[in-house]
Amino acid sequence: MTAKNNGAKRPTILRHSLTVRLIHWTVTLSTFILIFTGLGQMPIYKRYLLDQVPGFAWSSNYEITVYVHYIAAIALVFAAVFHVVYHGMCRHFHILPRRGDLKESYLLVKAMLTKCEEPPCHKYLPEQRLAYVFIAGSLGTIIITGIFKVLKNLPSMANTFSSDFIYWMTMLHNIATFMVIFGIIAHLGAFVFKANRALLPGIFTGRVDLEYIRHRHCLWYEELCSENIITPEQIAGTASHAPAEIQDTQHTA
Amino acid sequence: MGGISRREFFKRAIATGVVSGMALTGAEKAAEASTGQEPVGTFIDMTLCNGCEGLKVPKCVSACRAKNQDKFPKPVKSAEIPNYWPQDKKEDWSDKKGLTTRLTPYNWTFVQQTKIEHNGKTYAVNMPRRCMHCDNPPCAKVCPFGAQTVTREGAVLINPETCFGGAKCRDVCPWGIPARQAGVGLYMKIAPDFVGGGVMYKCDLCIDRVKEGKNPSCVEACPNGAIKFGPREEMLALSEARAKEIDGYVYGEKENGGTSTFYVSPVPFEKINKAFMAQKAKQPNPDAPGYPGTPVNVGNFLDTPNGVTAGILLAPVAGLFTAGYKAYKTMKGEDVSDR
Repeated sequence: MTAKNNGAKRPTILRHSLTVRLIHWTVTLSTFILIFTGLGQMPIYKRYLLDQVPGFAWSSNYEITVYVHYIAAIALVFAAVFHVVYHGMCRHFHILPRRGDLKESYLLVKAMLTKCEEPPCHKYLPEQRLAYVFIAGSLGTIIITGIFKVLKNLPSMANTFSSDFIYWMTMLHNIATFMVIFGIIAHLGAFVFKANRALLPGIFTGRVDLEYIRHRHCLWYEELCSENIITPEQIAGTASHAPAEIQDTQHTA
Repeated sequence: MGGISRREFFKRAIATGVVSGMALTGAEKAAEASTGQEPVGTFIDMTLCNGCEGLKVPKCVSACRAKNQDKFPKPVKSAEIPNYWPQDKKEDWSDKKGLTTRLTPYNWTFVQQTKIEHNGKTYAVNMPRRCMHCDNPPCAKVCPFGAQTVTREGAVLINPETCFGGAKCRDVCPWGIPARQAGVGLYMKIAPDFVGGGVMYKCDLCIDRVKEGKNPSCVEACPNGAIKFGPREEMLALSEARAKEIDGYVYGEKENGGTSTFYVSPVPFEKINKAFMAQKAKQPNPDAPGYPGTPVNVGNFLDTPNGVTAGILLAPVAGLFTAGYKAYKTMKGEDVSDR
């Protein structure tokens, strides 16, 4: 991890490593493709005439959409397993919920709405940790049910699973899909709050304004300071915008 | 973290791998092999079928209609059935209940007839048509609502209580067999003006009779013994023997990845398909389903996606090893790419 000041720019701190960003965007891209092609299996694009829109004639072709769905599923499954195993092994658990996150989320949203003082936050905001569990749980459900849906299509497994089992796999797959859609809307909706917007560059560049972190994610900031990831010089640099760069070990999750 | 021991690394790797593996495969118990009733099949000898010459409606068709009349759709009044918004159409066969010359929600079998020249001889082709009850039916497999099931006997069934009438089953069926009736079913209780299309109907192989050890009604009704019913492999063997006997052709063994309905004809099915397609083109609405062809060696809709199944099943393994390698380098502090 680095905390640095790029010339006259405000000093920043690495919040999301390259690996995290690559996996995040792999999940994002594959999930959007899966949602679009998955909804295409409902079937709705022919009914609602999307296939009449120039460039979208293919959208009502099940052979194309189901094939693309499978390809995107490969990317999602890879990214999901990588995410769990990599962060599990490296013990990056900042994003996992903590005791009292529900109450903390309520207090934080209340503070954003009423402009009151926010409770101190760790690397992730309490609602980010809850959103993570919601979206990860939904994606996990989609992956597991999806694998059974894929297996049941194989001629060699044509009669392996009971009809009831496949029915519930299908229902869970559909329900979890709508949970993910809701989760994505809520995830993006968080940026309606101006207070959250400083976090946005982090998922593109990995870096977030250090001064912002000092104020809003003060518990994480203190953690970084106590581990000498951010030094007193850096803290001073933050205030005065003086050039500074500090290297550290991996702390992202 | 650069000081992680080899032992600690493997401990973490195994712990994380086991948890991930359990998450991905732990529901194995839910998979149960089908046992019990053996798959059934139908052998239709087209050399014996004359379409019940002289009768207005072939007996297999009459018997099917009589047997299934209680299962036929009971939609709301035609005028009250909404169009498939935003389109200005709907599939309503309720005013054509008497139609017996094609598949409709009210007619689950019919006899396709044509005359074909082959080897200098003219053949009257009579082909009773209905659901082929495929071995790996894409209609049942890809139903987005899980409304279709395959019984242990091999009958493909549509649940009218959960079918939403999206007609995807018909689109992925090489013969376009299921027929849709609007104004009936689950969607009428939700938002019929905007979502849903009705219920799909087709032959259910008289599964209630079959489970009682009886033959389907069409089999019982055929006056010429042209439709035979029994264990699938036995019916396949009979059809192959008959084809050999008449130097004819079998249809249904390989099509769509294999079905449980085997037709035997002295005329190649390529020629029959051509004749049926020509007839279809002359229908008032040539694009309307319910008038199937006989495409020879037609593939299964699932063949293409099944081709990449290995990729999906290998993805967790690839993710596991890549993550393990990456985590090892990160923990050793050797990988600076994350900084």
